[in-house]
Amino acid sequence: MPEIRVTPLGAGQDVGRSCILVSISGKNVMLDCGMHMGYNDDRRFPDFSYITQSGRLTDFLDCVIISHFHLDHCGALPYFSEMVGYDGPIYMTHPTQAICPILLEDYRKIAVDKKGEANFFTSQMIKDCMKKVVAVHLHQTVQVDDELEIKAYYAGHVLGAAMFQIKVGSESVVYTGDYNMTPDRHLGAAWIDKCRPNLLITESTYATTIRDSKRCRERDFLKKVHETVERGGKVLIPVFALGRAQELCILLETFWERMNLKVPIYFSTGLTEKANHYYKLFITWTNQKIRKTFVQRNMFEFKHIKAFDRTFADNPGPMVVFATPGMLHAGQSLQIFRKWAGNEKNMVIMPGYCVQGTVGHKILSGQRKLEMEGRQVLEVKMQVEYMSFSAHADAKGIMQLVGQAEPESVLLVHGEAKKMEFLRQKIEQEFRVSCYMPANGETVTLPTSPSIPVGISLGLLKREMVQGLLPEAKKPRLLHGTLIMKDSSFRLVSSEQALKELGLAEHQLRFTCRVHLQDTRKEQETALRVYSHLKSTLKDHCVQHLPDGSVTVESILIQAAAHSEDPGTKVLLVSWTYQDEELGSFLTALLKNGLPQAPS
Amino acid sequence: MDPECSRLLPALCAVLADPRQLVADDTCLEKLLDWFKTVMETESSLQLLQDHPCLMELLSHVLKPQDMSPRVLSFALRLVGIFAAQEDCFQYLQQGELLLGLFGETGALSWAAWSVPSVRSGWIQGLCSLVRHPSALHFLADSGAVDTIFSLQGDPSLFVASAASQLLVHILALAMQGGASGSPTREAAAWPVCAQKIVNHVEESLHSKATPQVTQALNVLTTTFGRCHSPWTRVLWERLSPSVACLFERDPIPAVHSLMDLLLSVARSPVLNFSACGLWEMLAQTLNRLSPTQAGPLALGTLKLQHCPQELRTRAFSVLLQPLACILKATTQAPGPPGLLDGAADSLLTVDTLLSSKSTCVGLLCQTLAHLEELQMLPQCPSPWPQVPLLGAAVTILRLCDGSADPSSSVGGRLCGTLGGCVRVQRAALDFLGTLSQGMGPLELVLEVFAVLLKTLESPESSPMVLKKAFQATLRWLQNSHKTPSCSDLSADALLFLGELFPILQKRLCSPCWEVRDSALEFLTHLIRHWGGQADFREALRSSEVPAFAHQLLQDPESYVRASAVGAAGQLSTRGLQAAPTSPENPQAQQGLLMDLMHILSTDSEGFPRRAVLRVFTEWLRDGHADVVQDTEWFVATVLQAVSRDLDWEVRVQGLELAQVFLIQAMGQPSLRCPYTVGLPEATSPSPHPEFLQTLCRLPLFEFAFCALLDCDRPVAQKACDLLLFLRDKTSSCSGTQEVGDNPSSASVEAVLQRWREGEQGQLLGDLDPEAMLAILRSLDLEGLQDKLAKSSDHVEKSPQSLLQDMLATVGILEENEADCY
Repeated sequence: MPEIRVTPLGAGQDVGRSCILVSISGKNVMLDCGMHMGYNDDRRFPDFSYITQSGRLTDFLDCVIISHFHLDHCGALPYFSEMVGYDGPIYMTHPTQAICPILLEDYRKIAVDKKGEANFFTSQMIKDCMKKVVAVHLHQTVQVDDELEIKAYYAGHVLGAAMFQIKVGSESVVYTGDYNMTPDRHLGAAWIDKCRPNLLITESTYATTIRDSKRCRERDFLKKVHETVERGGKVLIPVFALGRAQELCILLETFWERMNLKVPIYFSTGLTEKANHYYKLFITWTNQKIRKTFVQRNMFEFKHIKAFDRTFADNPGPMVVFATPGMLHAGQSLQIFRKWAGNEKNMVIMPGYCVQGTVGHKILSGQRKLEMEGRQVLEVKMQVEYMSFSAHADAKGIMQLVGQAEPESVLLVHGEAKKMEFLRQKIEQEFRVSCYMPANGETVTLPTSPSIPVGISLGLLKREMVQGLLPEAKKPRLLHGTLIMKDSSFRLVSSEQALKELGLAEHQLRFTCRVHLQDTRKEQETALRVYSHLKSTLKDHCVQHLPDGSVTVESILIQAAAHSEDPGTKVLLVSWTYQDEELGSFLTALLKNGLPQAPS
Repeated sequence: MDPECSRLLPALCAVLADPRQLVADDTCLEKLLDWFKTVMETESSLQLLQDHPCLMELLSHVLKPQDMSPRVLSFALRLVGIFAAQEDCFQYLQQGELLLGLFGETGALSWAAWSVPSVRSGWIQGLCSLVRHPSALHFLADSGAVDTIFSLQGDPSLFVASAASQLLVHILALAMQGGASGSPTREAAAWPVCAQKIVNHVEESLHSKATPQVTQALNVLTTTFGRCHSPWTRVLWERLSPSVACLFERDPIPAVHSLMDLLLSVARSPVLNFSACGLWEMLAQTLNRLSPTQAGPLALGTLKLQHCPQELRTRAFSVLLQPLACILKATTQAPGPPGLLDGAADSLLTVDTLLSSKSTCVGLLCQTLAHLEELQMLPQCPSPWPQVPLLGAAVTILRLCDGSADPSSSVGGRLCGTLGGCVRVQRAALDFLGTLSQGMGPLELVLEVFAVLLKTLESPESSPMVLKKAFQATLRWLQNSHKTPSCSDLSADALLFLGELFPILQKRLCSPCWEVRDSALEFLTHLIRHWGGQADFREALRSSEVPAFAHQLLQDPESYVRASAVGAAGQLSTRGLQAAPTSPENPQAQQGLLMDLMHILSTDSEGFPRRAVLRVFTEWLRDGHADVVQDTEWFVATVLQAVSRDLDWEVRVQGLELAQVFLIQAMGQPSLRCPYTVGLPEATSPSPHPEFLQTLCRLPLFEFAFCALLDCDRPVAQKACDLLLFLRDKTSSCSGTQEVGDNPSSASVEAVLQRWREGEQGQLLGDLDPEAMLAILRSLDLEGLQDKLAKSSDHVEKSPQSLLQDMLATVGILEENEADCY
């Protein structure tokens, strides 16, 4: 029995590191290979030893697919491919392929910087891993091998994010990765065609929420930045090199332009240039507005945002600085924070999630006296703001996508159990499909009934056309033919063609039926009565009375015989060929009703 | 326990016990458990519980788990396990009936939250921590927990099921080790109760008709024989081997993979007498019964065994070789070169089986090639190794893949159709071919290898990954071709090959794929490193346009490629092979590269090329490269100036590395701080010339290192600290020469230090004379700083106090929709 099996190693009832194993008709695919930023040891990576108990990973897995460049979706990739030893192909979109190594490198630097971690992947490993990547275009069907094919769809969320359809024969699974059903400032909304997969694996981060408009959050952000610089304060925005940073840059750049502000905005990483280069390069992946304005002005060429130099932090007066890393756990952003924390005029805006143990997490949870090295205490007087700009589909959006793709069943990942449960019920009620929400390590098995493709011969189709009945998509039609199975493929052809192709002779099959008639007359007379009756009833058919006493109607032969036991009963033997099945049945029924009374 | 943690603990326990409070996240609870484990390593858990009644309160709350979140329940189960690992604490908890209430039949099993896998996992992990002493074994036997563990072996969660099996092994090992006084007995009745229960269960499962149950039993045994090497395992095998042997009588053999793992695990055990226990027969029987795909891993495992009868090894090796023997047989015209397994009557694998489906064929070949590759590198590699036919097979497979094979038979034609364009097999074959270079082969075959490699490198069909592997294999063959112990020169054939290779390499350097350009550059760099000094090679390279193409890639749009181009150009220059032929009269071209690299260092927007430049520069400085020697001071000054502004901390670290090389060259190696050298007379390193100290100030190397001491990136500060310590050591003799009295620079030194302490490291130090520099060096507590920097930069945030504070601080601010990601 063919089946689809799904086992999350990560993102099963949690928002941690995504890593989902899917097996479709014997083909094994790993969806995403993320890491958990909350751990500093092996727990940060999924436990890959569960992928296969026997054999090598490269032999077992047919491919790995990465949905987008966020580290909780691709952070474990160099570890998996260069340290665990997966040597097969990795698929991702072109922008993801370009941006992924920047973020991996960024994270590697932080990890090594912070802890001096030796057992971590190196730059060379990131490069070697990226060489295994096969980049795909949107809507391009990529043949992984003869049986397995994948196709990417636009997912919004971040630049290059994609949903993937994975297809083996007639079975298919769609994995959404993270997606957004409403367009934002630089990206469009996710879209998929009505592909009716056997299973839709969807993220469910905001499974119970209807998110307010992102515009409100953006307005709020601008207002806070503006107020702070107006009163002479400095604004620190800790970010990761790519993604959110570009979105906020566009936001500030446009606002500065509109308000004619002169306060300097700096970007500290030195990566802006490259990041912006990619946004320019992949302009087709951004939303329509950006694409349109691109002709007049590239939105990623910032007039107001300048490169940061370490000495600028001590400059007097207001400024806005984007600095890495995003959780204030090391490096430049933490250093600037230390300098500015003591002044209540300043502000730090955390535009993303912070894991426990980082300064970002501490200040977001309201801690204002931070112990630093050497028992020093840093008093945080500056204002602290948290703003979530993450772009996920909310409950409405998820339902919309399910409606769009029309899957046979749904599986929820990347969300919290409680919220998933709510959404699961909603999906089952509204769409009447099964919805699953496995925990990490749990396997969901779905039996599938495979549809087998059959080719139809042109001759047969033409014959049908001649009959004047044009095929209609929604109205199934009966088509008679002979099914030939040859070299593991099926073809439906006319029986004549089948005979010819297979070199067989046709056998005639005759059906015979006995009809009992109450008639005391001789057999010949009964036959004559039958002839007269049929002749008068079946005006359009050729009815003949043959010299041997039998009657024929087309190919149907009727003979009258005496009943062996009852002389008052005659037996009519009606025999017809398969081709005249309908007429044969009709005649039998007619004769069963008896013959009209003859004038005696 | 730290007093501050003791103070925070009650509040935290109260929060955890309160179902209305949302706990930060799973990572916090995990880290909390880590911390408790660390505390328990040095403290008495009983004392801890008694000193902190809040912990007992929290645990007793778990006994009424109606509203508690599954994650807290799981946490509590694991925490109890950690406490109860110490026997006195176990007794204490047992008296309070807490253990039975959690791990007994009426405990966690009856909770609604038992349906949550993390709770079941917590239950197992709790028990696993707890089972450390005989009292725990009695508890297990009495509480019915063992039966629950049996059922959890079949849990729908892989994690829970696997943990349950591990736990059974753990219990069995503890019971048998504790119970076995004297020699182990075969009488089951004499075994400890827990052990009896587990062994009976395993035995029953082995007889089960349901494959999952057989698999579970086999997995428990595999882990047991893998981990435990005490004499009782021998008794265990004697008892259970008949049941295992019965599995072979079934058709099909159930749980084949697990069965193979078990046999290999038993075969690796140092305590078993294999001839007596019939293991070799079982292995041989299994090898014969299994399909080629299934038998491959077992054959490899068998060949890896230390002690194994030769007959079995031969059998195992022939299993591994079969697929390749098939390929050779199908493609060779008789009489052809020697095949594999010629004359072996009982070939299990027919070509028809191999070709039954494309995926089977591809899978089997990839697996076989990988196994043979692994085997060849092991000390247990079979001897004699059929190098020639294997080489023939690898070449044939590559030809079948690239379509250049000339199949002699219809089967060969079918193989062509199956393998044509198959990247997976091509990659595996190239890896294997590379490994085969260790053994070489007859000249005509080596030439064939070179030919097929050239074909792959040249083919427009080759994917970037295939090209990378082809480059790697080529390099290995060149390195090993006609290698003699005394000569590392390239052979004449290899040189001929290079003549054909360079035009292809040239083409690949212009590939539209960055992956290919990069692999080609990496390959070139390796080539030059190996043979850059050899006249013939130099000649061949010079006559090609490869150096010019490599140089052009310094401007590649892809940063990875630019970095590799920097490495290649550096190597070319080191060997005097740079693009424009230089002569003593025309130093511009050479200087041109130096300036190009300087330009990259100061302007490239990405770290990789800048880091690559510094690697080249450091090597040049170390090796006394002509351009560097010409004006070393200018060179170091220019590099340091560029590096000091760099935003990439790894570039700054490498800048310090370069500075250190410069110092070592001028001042000698750092003195050894080895305890054994104490008695030896002090190595006399000459005190640096005052002029050199002037140079350091002028460069300004000292200022660079001094500023780096306060770098926000820890590795930079660490490196700077090491450098300054070295400098201080080397200049310690200079300090004595200083005249006593008012130091004219003391005021400025103090001012500098003041500014430095205030963290204004961005400010320049100003013009310092050597005396001031030495004064600053002496006044810094570099050892103290070194210790401080040795800790991770987040050691304060990672401390238990910080964790407890964070968990408490998040209470109340977590909202329903807090879940966010990046």
